[in-house]
Amino acid sequence: MVFLNLPLLVRARGPDEFWRKRRIFKLAAHYRSRTRNVYSFAIRSVHRALAYATKGRKLKKLDMAQLWSTRVEAGCQQYGVGLETFKEGLARSDILLNKKVLSDLAIWEPRSFEALVKISRERAAVEGMPDIKRRSAFNQVYGLSNLKLD
Amino acid sequence: MSFLAQAVRQVLRQVPNRSLSLAGAMRSLSISPAVGQQNKLATESVDISAIAKDQQKECQSICERINRQVQKSEQGRLFAVVHLCGKQFKITPGDVILVEGYWPPTIGDEISLDKVLLAGARDFTLVGRPILEPGLVSVKATVVEKTLSHTKTHFRKKRRKQYMRINFQRSPHTMVRINSIELARPVDGEAPPSEPSKRLF
Repeated sequence: MVFLNLPLLVRARGPDEFWRKRRIFKLAAHYRSRTRNVYSFAIRSVHRALAYATKGRKLKKLDMAQLWSTRVEAGCQQYGVGLETFKEGLARSDILLNKKVLSDLAIWEPRSFEALVKISRERAAVEGMPDIKRRSAFNQVYGLSNLKLD
Repeated sequence: MSFLAQAVRQVLRQVPNRSLSLAGAMRSLSISPAVGQQNKLATESVDISAIAKDQQKECQSICERINRQVQKSEQGRLFAVVHLCGKQFKITPGDVILVEGYWPPTIGDEISLDKVLLAGARDFTLVGRPILEPGLVSVKATVVEKTLSHTKTHFRKKRRKQYMRINFQRSPHTMVRINSIELARPVDGEAPPSEPSKRLF
């Protein structure tokens, strides 16, 4: 490439410097100290913030899932049933409510939740799951093979 | 054992101390206290058919009580758990729920949400396995608004590797208002002869 005059020697820097920097400063407007005013500091922290925001959207979903399990666990431990047993008992009874709904029910519809725990515990006892100490009445009176649930 | 299937399908609950839920029903079958169960199993003769009849009666009486309550419209506001667009929502009349992503219905469409997993009121809860019988609970809704979400910035950068990508995305959002949740027919009643349905599932 032949450079004919001096201005063309300067490396092309994309859009006008003022506007390019202004875009970054707008995002950094609420930062503290020199990250707000000095471009070289501002761009560093803006890039880091945007990267965190991107990752955070995924983490939020994981965090919520964790929170829901904690709530459901607390809910079913009130009735002396562990989380895994509760979930397994529900699944084996073909009740396919997810963690979000179960935690909502545990908080806002405690009596419905209690009924679900009872169903689950009874199913766990009938199928002889290890976590349940009390044996099911059905197993003793009829034997498991006679039990025809649907 | 049809009563058992019935009882599991519809766990119905009234005043707590007179609890007639499935768990209670099953426990009442126990012939001896829990401590002494291991050794004396079938020593006492149990009239199984009589027990079964008792349970069936209990189930019927619960259903009747629910139906009576619904007839007098004393059941209060119903709530339901519906499955919509791959997500489950706990809803009650008047709620607005947000459906994310592409979803064909447009503004003003009246839809009925048919996958009802659970419905409940003040004194009873109907639990579906996994969904309630079609036509038992009718949930009507209206599509209120279709918009885009706020702009999400997808930014990736690797230090010292000259790698930086930035993308912007907005996903469609649909607001759905729940108009009504009603028990369409008596619990445990006969389903009306259904016309060939247009349902996809």
